[in-house]
Amino acid sequence: MSLRLKLLLLGLATLVLPWEGTRYAREMESALREGEQDSLGAVAQSIASSLQGRTDLLYRDADAPATLGPFDLQPLVLTTQPFLDGYPDEWPQDKAAWRYYDNGSKEGFGIVTGVFERMLFVLLDVRDEKVVFDAVGSNPLDSATLGDRIWLGFRGPDGLEHQVFLSATGAGALTARRIETGELHQQTAVVEPRINGALQPSPNGYRVELRIPLSMINDRFGVLIDDRDKQGALATSYGMLSTEDLHTQGNLVAASPNLTGYLAQFLQPGLRLSVAAPNGRALAQADALAQATDLGPGPGILARLYRRFVDDPRAHRTIDAAAPIYDRKHEASIGELRVTQIGNRWLTLRDRALTRMLNITLITTIVAVILMFVFAARLALRLSRLRSASESALTREGLITTFPETSSPDELGDVARGFSTLLGRLNEYTGYLRTLAGKLAHEIRTPLTIVRSSLENLESEGGVAESAHVYLDRARQGSERLNAILVAMGAATRVEEAIASAERTRFDIVAVVASAVGSYGNAFPQRHFVADLPPEPIEIEGAPDLIVQMLDKLVDNAVDFSPAGATVTVRLHAEPHAVLVGVENPGPPLAPWIRGRLFESLWQSRTDRDSRPHFGLGLYIVRLIAEFHGGTASAANLPGDAGVSFVVRLARSAS
Amino acid sequence: MKRLVAIVEDEPAIRDNYAAAFAREGYTVRTYGSRAQATTAFASRLPDLVVIDISLEDEPEGGFELCRQLRSLSAELPIIFLTARDTELDAVSGLRLGADDFLTKDLSLAHLIARVNALFRRVDALRKPHEASQVVKRGPLTLDSERMQVEWEGQVVLLSLTEFWIVFALARHPGHVKNRQQLMDAANVVLDDNTITSHIKRIRRKFQAIDPKFDAVQTVYGMGYRWVD
Repeated sequence: MSLRLKLLLLGLATLVLPWEGTRYAREMESALREGEQDSLGAVAQSIASSLQGRTDLLYRDADAPATLGPFDLQPLVLTTQPFLDGYPDEWPQDKAAWRYYDNGSKEGFGIVTGVFERMLFVLLDVRDEKVVFDAVGSNPLDSATLGDRIWLGFRGPDGLEHQVFLSATGAGALTARRIETGELHQQTAVVEPRINGALQPSPNGYRVELRIPLSMINDRFGVLIDDRDKQGALATSYGMLSTEDLHTQGNLVAASPNLTGYLAQFLQPGLRLSVAAPNGRALAQADALAQATDLGPGPGILARLYRRFVDDPRAHRTIDAAAPIYDRKHEASIGELRVTQIGNRWLTLRDRALTRMLNITLITTIVAVILMFVFAARLALRLSRLRSASESALTREGLITTFPETSSPDELGDVARGFSTLLGRLNEYTGYLRTLAGKLAHEIRTPLTIVRSSLENLESEGGVAESAHVYLDRARQGSERLNAILVAMGAATRVEEAIASAERTRFDIVAVVASAVGSYGNAFPQRHFVADLPPEPIEIEGAPDLIVQMLDKLVDNAVDFSPAGATVTVRLHAEPHAVLVGVENPGPPLAPWIRGRLFESLWQSRTDRDSRPHFGLGLYIVRLIAEFHGGTASAANLPGDAGVSFVVRLARSAS
Repeated sequence: MKRLVAIVEDEPAIRDNYAAAFAREGYTVRTYGSRAQATTAFASRLPDLVVIDISLEDEPEGGFELCRQLRSLSAELPIIFLTARDTELDAVSGLRLGADDFLTKDLSLAHLIARVNALFRRVDALRKPHEASQVVKRGPLTLDSERMQVEWEGQVVLLSLTEFWIVFALARHPGHVKNRQQLMDAANVVLDDNTITSHIKRIRRKFQAIDPKFDAVQTVYGMGYRWVD
C-alpha cells in the first residue's frame, strides 16, 4: 500500500466525527423530546386542573352517571363532516360505538352518533324485511298512507320533551317534521328545517344519516322506529324512546357545547387538545396539529439529506401527554385531558444543530483528507526524489554534490543528511578502494624491482651451482607473474588516464571493427570469429584506439567464457541515433543477479583459475570506454541460454 | 677511460643492484641516495650519464628538480628517468625537462644496460664526423641510426630513446605492420597497450609540430602500426 493511500485512509478516520455527531444529535433529540414531554405534561396537568369539577363544562348533563345506561348515547368526536347521503363511508370504523335495539323478533336497528363542530350526526342501520315509504303527495299525518317512521326524541334547552319524525317517499332526502297541536286540537305536521337526513336501502333494510344542531338538544336524546309492513298498517314501535309518550329514556353523553370553546383558548399551532370520558371515548377536541409552527426558514437540501440518515423511522414525530380530570372532591375521574404536540420544535432545533455540526465535520473531514493527500503526495515526491538521488548519487566520478532535502529541517531532512553522510563515507571508501590497486601496485613495484634486479645480478655474476638454477628460474617466473599482476592492477587507472587525454576524431567504426576482428583469428586460434557488419561506413565521433581496446576486452571475455572451437560473433548494427557493438559467444548463461554488477570495477564472476591475473577490470574498462562515447554497456543471455551477448550502445554523431 | 654512470636512487637495494650491473658492464658507478648528495657531487664533476629516480626520500618530485639542474649544467648529458611511477603525466613531465628516456622500474637490467650503451653510442657518434652510410632517407624523413637522430623536412625531431627506436623499427620497412610486441622488442622495453599508444601519440605530435599534415604513422586496428611514405 502506498504512503498516499495509507494517509488517505487515516484521513477517512475523521469520519468518526460526523458519525459521533449524529449520535450526539440523536441524544440531544431525545433529551429535547423528554423536556418537551415534561412541559407538555405540565400543560396537560394545568388544563386538567382548570377543568376539575367542571362536570357542567364536560357534559351536557351535569348529573350524568359515570357509566352509560342502556339508552345512553355517547357520540364520537368526528374529525370530518359526514356527507348526508345515507352511506356510512365517512364514518369511523368503530364497532364499539354502535348500540343495537330490536323489537324482540328479527327486526331492529343499530345506531351510532357523532359530533362535528356544533352538529350531532346520527347513522342508523335498520334491519327491516319490508321497507314502506309514505305515499307520494299524501299528508304525512294521514294514517291510511303512513309508511315506516323514525322518531327522534330529545329534551331541548327549555327543559321540555320534543319529538320529530322523519318520513320518506323514496330513497334520498328525508324530511323532518314536528307535530303541532293547534288551538282547536287539530294536528299539523310542521317541517323542521334544522334537521336534515337521507335514506338509502341496504341489503337488510335501509340506512339513515341525520344531522341535528346540538343547540336543539340539551341533554337527552333517543330514536324510535315505527315499523310497518304496508302503508297504513299497525306499527311495531321499538327503540330508545318510551313507546307510550315518546319521552326520552337515555342521556346524550356528549360534551357541553362550551367545552370545545373552552379548549380552544389553550390552543396553539401544532397542538391538539382533547377531552375524553372516563371510558376513553373522546368528548371534544381542539385541533391545530396540522398548523405549521413557524420556527424560521425551512430546512435546506443538505439538512433534509442529513435528516434521512439520522431519523429513526420508528420514532414518533409527535408527543402526547395526558392528565385525569377529577371531580370537585378530587376523588373520582370525570374525564381525561390529552395534549398532543407535533415534534416540529425539537426536530427543527435538532436539525439546525445537526446540519451545522455535520457541515462543519464533513468540511473538516474533506479538508483533512485533501490536506493529508497533498501532504502524502508531497512526502512521496520528496521520498522518491531522495530515493532516486541516493541511487544515483554515487557515480564513478564520485559523489554528486547536490543531494536533495538536506536543508529540510524535518525528519526527512535528517534522513537525507544521514544518507549524504553515509554516501560521503562510502565515496571516500570506494575512492580509497579505487586507488588502492594503483597504490598497491606502486608500493609493490619497488620491492619487486629489488627482487628482480637481484635475480638478474645473481644470474649475471655466475657462481650459482648448476643444481640451483632451477630455483633461480622459479624465482624469476614468480617475479614475472607478480609483475603481470601489477600491470593488470594498474590497467583501469591507465585506461582512465587514456580516456582523460583521448582526442575525439570522426572515424568509420565499421572499418575499425573489421580491422580488429581480422586480427583476433591470429590472437585466439582456438576460436572462430564471425563479423556481422553493415556494408556502408558508419561515422562516429570518438577515439578509435579506445574502441579497439573495448572490443579487445569484450572478445577477451567472450573467449574466456566459451569452449574451445566455439564461434564468437562480433556484430555492428546501426540505429538512427546509435551504433550497437555486440559480441556474442556460446557458453554458460549469466545468472540474473550478476547482470547488474558485471560492469562494476573490481568485480568478477570467474571461479576458475588460470595463469593470468584477473581483477574484474575488463568489463569495467568496456563501460568506461562506452561512457566516453556517450553510450552504455549491457549484457544479456542468448535465446535458450545458449550463450551470452554483450552489447555496447554508442552515440552516433548527429551529422 | 671508463665512463662514469651516476645513479640517484633512495632505495639502497635497488641502487646497489643497479650499481653492480653497471660495474659489471665496465662502467664506473657513483651512487647517491638524495638530491643534496648528488647536487654536491655533480658540482665538482659531471658524470657521463645519470640515472635518476623521480621521488627521492622526502621529495616526491626531487628527480625532476635534479634533472632541471643537470640540464642547466650540460645540454648533452644523457639523463634516464627510472621510476616506480608510471603515470602518463610523469612521463610527459620528465621528457619535457629534457630527459633522454623515461623508464619504469619493471624494466629488466639487460634492457636498461642496452639503453645506457645506446645512449653512449649516440654521444660518441655526435662527437664523430657525420657518416652518411648510417643515414636512411625516405622522402622528408632522415634517419640517423648512429646518432639516433630523426629529421623531418630537414628539421630535427627531438625523440626520446624509446620513441626513436619505435620510429626506427617502423620506418626501416615502410608499409609493414609492426605489432606491439615487435615494437617493444625494438625499443628494448616491456610496455602495456596503453603505454605503446601513448608513445605513438607523442611521436605523431612531435612530427606534427613540424609538419601539421604529418600522417606517416598509421594505426592498423587490432594489428599494430605501420609507416607510410
